[in-house]
Amino acid sequence: MKRSLVRLAIMLPVLALVFGLLAVPILGKVDTVKVGVIYPLTGSAAATGKDYIAAYQLAADIVNNKMDLDFPFARTEGIPALGGAMIEIVPADSQGSPEVGRAEAERLISSVKPTALMGCHHSAVTKTASQAAERFGTVFLCPDSTSPALTERGYEWFFRSGPTDTTFIEDTFDFIEDLKKARGLKVETVAIVSEDTEFGKNISVVEEQMAATRGYRVVEKITFQNNSTNVNSEVLRLKRANPDVILMAAYTSDTILFVRTFKEQKYTPPAVIGQRAGFISPEIFTTLGKDADYLFTTNVWAPDLGEKRPIVKRINELYRAKTGKDLTGDYARAFTGAFILVDAINRAGSVNPEAIRKALLATDYPGSQLIVPWAGVRFDQKTHQNTLGRGIITQAIGGVYRTVWPFDLASQEAVWPVPAWDKR
Amino acid sequence: MKNQWTIVLGAIAVGAVLPYVFPGPFPRHVMIMVLVYAILGTAWNILGGYAGQVSLGHAVYFGIGAYTSTMAFIVWRLNPWVGMVLGAVIAASVAILMGYPTFKLRGFYFAIATIALGEMFRILFVNWEWVGGAVGLEPPIIKGDRLMSMQFHLSKVPYYYILFIMFLCVLALVRVIERSKLGYYFRAVKDSHEAALSSGIDTTQVKLVAVAISAFITSMVGTVYAQYLLYIDPYVVFAGSISVKVCLVAILGGEGRLMGPFFGSVVLVLLSEYSRVLFGGTGRGIDLIIYGWLIVFVAAFQPRGILGLLGLKKQYAPEVMRKHA
Repeated sequence: MKRSLVRLAIMLPVLALVFGLLAVPILGKVDTVKVGVIYPLTGSAAATGKDYIAAYQLAADIVNNKMDLDFPFARTEGIPALGGAMIEIVPADSQGSPEVGRAEAERLISSVKPTALMGCHHSAVTKTASQAAERFGTVFLCPDSTSPALTERGYEWFFRSGPTDTTFIEDTFDFIEDLKKARGLKVETVAIVSEDTEFGKNISVVEEQMAATRGYRVVEKITFQNNSTNVNSEVLRLKRANPDVILMAAYTSDTILFVRTFKEQKYTPPAVIGQRAGFISPEIFTTLGKDADYLFTTNVWAPDLGEKRPIVKRINELYRAKTGKDLTGDYARAFTGAFILVDAINRAGSVNPEAIRKALLATDYPGSQLIVPWAGVRFDQKTHQNTLGRGIITQAIGGVYRTVWPFDLASQEAVWPVPAWDKR
Repeated sequence: MKNQWTIVLGAIAVGAVLPYVFPGPFPRHVMIMVLVYAILGTAWNILGGYAGQVSLGHAVYFGIGAYTSTMAFIVWRLNPWVGMVLGAVIAASVAILMGYPTFKLRGFYFAIATIALGEMFRILFVNWEWVGGAVGLEPPIIKGDRLMSMQFHLSKVPYYYILFIMFLCVLALVRVIERSKLGYYFRAVKDSHEAALSSGIDTTQVKLVAVAISAFITSMVGTVYAQYLLYIDPYVVFAGSISVKVCLVAILGGEGRLMGPFFGSVVLVLLSEYSRVLFGGTGRGIDLIIYGWLIVFVAAFQPRGILGLLGLKKQYAPEVMRKHA
């Protein structure tokens, strides 16, 4: 009798918890515009996810408060056309998993009732989360995922403000051609090195096609395993092929491993051009130190862009005050995406989804009001891909990335070919 | 006896109305995931719980189910129900082929071999361009909700009922096995391999039957999951985390018991989903800490699983165990 009472005492709270949780109501106020942002807040990309949220919070702060900034929505409080309604950022954790990302999108849509969703860093998560938004007729603005397939689906409610991988690879080849013209550099052969998840695979396919159409010879094409522990044989193959430039797509740990192996094997490729990801993570400077010097990467943002445009510098200072770090391409894109959305809501003058969708389609945002170096934001009427996005090429010197292309934004000349390991 | 049937019918009735008691896509998603892991755990239990072969590579069969039906859908326009059966047959065949060499290994060595198999399949699929490689596959979207295409865009309820009926069928199957000669063979192999051998049981064959049934069911869930998520890639369906969670569900609930995996799944899935919702937004991983801590708590205080914790051992344990208990 006593034992069964004890059991009952254990069981009842458990049951109460289980059913209590199922019924958790998440209530909200009415005078705010809620934006659900879905990012990895736990797992291997958790640090990145947190910085994304900080960028959204900064955007919300600028919109919600009166600030002495020469920036849209800074000198007013809230969204003017909605009587000063405040923006509220509602973060959700995707754990980097497509299944969880979609579940979170559905949960936000049904319980928080956001005006729009944004996210999700990983292309695979963006794919499934935007499926949910499409089904429920909720605007989904993706500022960051770069897989071209996302906008090729022709979704009605999905918009992407950032450039795709294809754009960045075009930039890469334009940069090489501009350098050839300007300096008479000889670049004829390329090696394509990419990791084996969707990110790397997509890029290697596009790179190979573009190399062929622009008349470059691919002398080596290597796919390596994500999170490798040894790339000796890969580097040996590159050494043997001796390409004029290596095009690389890798996440952080692999980028670091490749650079270390280059140095160990005393191999100095004339130039290595990365595709963001590992190349723009702050860890490569903290871990590699001076060895990170002279790496090129496509990018959407660099601190030196602020030297020519004071507003870019101010925004970066505000971000630095919040997080202690500089903005990176990822966070600058997310910040920009938030303003594109607020601009559309303001023009729609309502939180009606269809009105916001129409306003987004009519977006014509000037490049001068962006902190990223794009010509502006204008969505393709069919795919909803921003047609004015573009990237920059940066090169690492002394622990920071500096812009080297396009030439009119450059703060220094590209060092190409790079000095050998023993001459640095 | 009559009393037991009342409980069973009552539980089925509760299960049948649950999606309408808690409407809204998120609670329904949670219920679907509970059923997914309950079925997977029950399937694992056949091999791991009853026959005592701890497999940590069940994602292989799950992935085969998801990929076979999706590829059959894309290439031959074969409806997912046929694809599901096809996938299940392939998964069972793979299980038997893989079983021959691995069942020569015992205990930890077998578990390690299954981990290796799981990794092997993931890497294989990442590099296999024909099935989409790392980019993955999206099953073609069929407009309109139709049972034949196993796609429902307006509501999640049909997915719930498909899985609910599957779960009931799987439970009935396991109940039959439990009481049949085969069930006794399974437990004999689990209790003592040598004793089973010496009493004339072909232990390898018994284990192969167990793994084939287990893989067959696991693969069917894979198909439903692919149609539910409408996107698969090797990192999603061949994930090591699926293999571990399936095993965890069964052990946490009470391995070797009919309803063990179900209770394990209820607790584990609710904990992981709701701890994420309540504490996940902070980005400090508090949800995972609480989740992990509760697993440790249950495991440390009650190694017989949740069923043991609730004192339900006698009623739900198979007859043979009741006699020894």
